[in-house]
Amino acid sequence: MTDEAQIPEQILNNKNKHSVRCNYCYSLILKPQFGEYVEHEFEMPLMQQKHRKDTEIIETEVLKNFWCIDDIFTFENIGFSNTVDNRKFLICADCEMGPVGYHEIANKKCYIALKRVRHGSEPDAVMEPVTDEEENDV
Amino acid sequence: MAKTYDYLFKLLLIGDSGVGKTCILFRFSEDAFNTTFISTIGIDFKIRTIEFDGKKIKLQIWDTAGQERFRTITTAYYRGAMGIMLVYDITQEKSFENIKNWIRNIEENASADVEKMLLGNKCELNDKRQVSRERGEQLAIEYGIKFMETSAKASINVEEAFLTLASDIKAKMEKRLEANNPPKGGHQLKFAETRKTETWLSKCNLL
Repeated sequence: MTDEAQIPEQILNNKNKHSVRCNYCYSLILKPQFGEYVEHEFEMPLMQQKHRKDTEIIETEVLKNFWCIDDIFTFENIGFSNTVDNRKFLICADCEMGPVGYHEIANKKCYIALKRVRHGSEPDAVMEPVTDEEENDV
Repeated sequence: MAKTYDYLFKLLLIGDSGVGKTCILFRFSEDAFNTTFISTIGIDFKIRTIEFDGKKIKLQIWDTAGQERFRTITTAYYRGAMGIMLVYDITQEKSFENIKNWIRNIEENASADVEKMLLGNKCELNDKRQVSRERGEQLAIEYGIKFMETSAKASINVEEAFLTLASDIKAKMEKRLEANNPPKGGHQLKFAETRKTETWLSKCNLL
């Protein structure tokens, strides 16, 4: 999870300064400098729905900060959900946590929510033990 | 922006329900993180990146998403597929017998030069085995395709299987390229042993 306060330091040349990784399993989603920073409002379904029995209600939160990716093959590893309302939701390809973002069928672009992923320049982060600080982030 | 990869391969996973595609490919492990919203709508495909021979290869992988229950996988599903993993369950005789039907289905619907590979999954369940390794090998020889026994659960051979399939597709493409543009001076393409990379496939999911 990347807090709003940390967002400016994630941006270099209006792109992601660091690798984008899954919050939970560190799977590499996107390499540095492949996502363009954009701001807009999007109602993203929560990863964990509290009203599990009532499937009519989808709990969401409004997210504003995204990495925009033009070509789906730019991703290192990513999963796509089935289509809902002309959109696919993006998930971690390894642990399947998500949505970490969404894909617009209409313009073929993908948007990764900064708040739903972690940012790390360390290519071997997957292998490293989770530090206290990172644990708190989760 | 320049292309970030050398090859893009579209792969399919085919086989009976319950051979481990659904539970293994999509969410094999109970301790995998659960996300209620995603499990409700389901997963369409995944993109994976592998590297070998110094080439970056993107894999786009689909599973049949339950279509196989109707025993009819349509031409649309096969369109553009360059590689197919045929999966059976070594503890289910029927799933092995049905491989022949799946191959027929592929022959009727997929492009003729699609690269195929046979996987006997759930090889960790040796005490419940109904299909011997030899029969798997024999069937693969019959169809002239490669064979491996895998266990997505125990992370056995899954990554190797995908690397093998990708490597064979790459070899086929390069051979075709070479046939179209014969190299000067007797240059030969070499396919070195596949290099081990970060093991996304060994983590838990076949897909």
